[in-house]
Amino acid sequence: MPRLALHTRIIVLFLLITISGLVLLNMVFQAKQDEIHGAIGRMELSERLRSIRHYNAEDSLKAGEIMREYDAAKALLNISLGNSRVVTSVVLFLVIIASSLIFIVSIIRISKPLRELKHATDQIRQGNYSVHLPETGISEMRELKNSFNVMSRELESTQTKLLLAEKEMIWKDLSRILAHEIKNPLTPIQLVIQRLQERLETDPGSITDILPESVSIITQEIENLRLLAQDFSNYAKASQPARELFNPALLIREIIKSYAQNYDIRLELAEDLQVFFDKTHFYQVITNILQNAIDASLDAKPITIKMYGERSYVVICVQDQGVGIESKDLARIFEPYFSMKTKGTGLGLALVKKLCDANNAIVRVKSKAGEGSEFTLIIEDTAS
Amino acid sequence: MFEGIGAKLFSSVVSLSLLLFSSFQGNDPSFTSVTVQKTGSYVYLSGSLHSAFENDFPSIFSSGAQIPVHFALSVRQGSKTLAQRRFTHSVSFDTMTGSYEVYKSGGAQSFQSDKVEEIIAEVARFRFGIPYQPSWGEVNIRIEASLPKVNFRELNKEVDLMVLWKHQKPSTKVVVDLRKAQ
Repeated sequence: MPRLALHTRIIVLFLLITISGLVLLNMVFQAKQDEIHGAIGRMELSERLRSIRHYNAEDSLKAGEIMREYDAAKALLNISLGNSRVVTSVVLFLVIIASSLIFIVSIIRISKPLRELKHATDQIRQGNYSVHLPETGISEMRELKNSFNVMSRELESTQTKLLLAEKEMIWKDLSRILAHEIKNPLTPIQLVIQRLQERLETDPGSITDILPESVSIITQEIENLRLLAQDFSNYAKASQPARELFNPALLIREIIKSYAQNYDIRLELAEDLQVFFDKTHFYQVITNILQNAIDASLDAKPITIKMYGERSYVVICVQDQGVGIESKDLARIFEPYFSMKTKGTGLGLALVKKLCDANNAIVRVKSKAGEGSEFTLIIEDTAS
Repeated sequence: MFEGIGAKLFSSVVSLSLLLFSSFQGNDPSFTSVTVQKTGSYVYLSGSLHSAFENDFPSIFSSGAQIPVHFALSVRQGSKTLAQRRFTHSVSFDTMTGSYEVYKSGGAQSFQSDKVEEIIAEVARFRFGIPYQPSWGEVNIRIEASLPKVNFRELNKEVDLMVLWKHQKPSTKVVVDLRKAQ
């Protein structure tokens, strides 16, 4: 049974008290009327007067007049009593009907706009700030709806301004990052070219001595630029997931192959598990987390990847013993363009978060500055 | 039509109100089965009113005022009214002798008694004749009883007696084929 609103309960209580009072009053009134009716019925004055012997015509006339008046008064009293009881009952009945009708109409007139207001509030909560209520109904409701409309208009305006400011901020950040990231590889390329130019002017014969190294630097920096472009492209392109069932242990081992020769990566993987995830996205997620762990790890400290099943989920943990993350930065590490590294776009972990969200997976991080970090992925398994 | 609906609605409200909120008994009058008889060019309807003159009526009849009881008859065929008649029974009381008299306008008869029970039985009983034409065929005959407002001259006060019937006018309808009725 739905819980009655406060105003409904107050009106119901008021009605109950009023109607109970009226019914009680009516009962007392009816009981007293019954007593009077009974008393009138027991009065037999005319019978007694008739039984008295009258000695002359004048006495008889007077007695007759008294009897007629008495009988008429008695009849009239009976009718009046009946009439008053009928009128009282009808009035009470009509009062109850009218009160109930007024109550129902009031409830409808109060509840309907409140429901509209709740619906509109829900819409605002969902981000639809353009909702406006028709300013109808009783005056208090009109005022309330007007205030709501003013508030929603202000919210809409503020939201538009915020979006614009956010866009501008994103573009500023992006421009700054792009400028910085493009400038980083350009500087060594420019230096190498300057060095080659100088050698060409001063000692052209020995240019071949520095050429392989110069070409290698330029190639490396061009590769860095390509990777930078790839990062942005990946983040922008993160497509709709094509989820499928596969064994994550096999894919993790595949990924590790290219890192295993240079880094100490330890695996503790349950082999018989399956995940429901986009395979390409899974590759990107594991690669990004692993790369992050490698970047954070100094002195070739081991990185451990654990995988186990828990209820209907598969849990994958990537632990490193690297520099860790300051607690103040933990909340921001999944934000785009946030990076604590000197190199990087700050898009790697943002991409991880984005891909996990798209595949109904959860990514968590635990870290302590100076001790290392642990990234945990929680992914739905086949059973779900 | 609206008057009829209004009256029915009002009497229903009164009945329901009294049922819920009052100890007032009043009377619940109704017609007992009406018999129809053809004699010459007249059709006669006879029957009686039941539970009409019990509570409070003995004291009303003995008030000295003349208490009329109206009966309205209408003969209809479909929506067409063929004939309408109005009859009145009235009760009066002689305070000095303690005797009652019932006068019936339908048959111009009167009946006297000093027992109120006999008077009640007599005023409730009716036999009304209406002239008819055999060409009328099947007709609806409706009888409705009502009580008027009565003026108590001794007290110079007029009261509506319908309150004693809880504002309900008893009525009954008889369907008669005048070509076949005996």
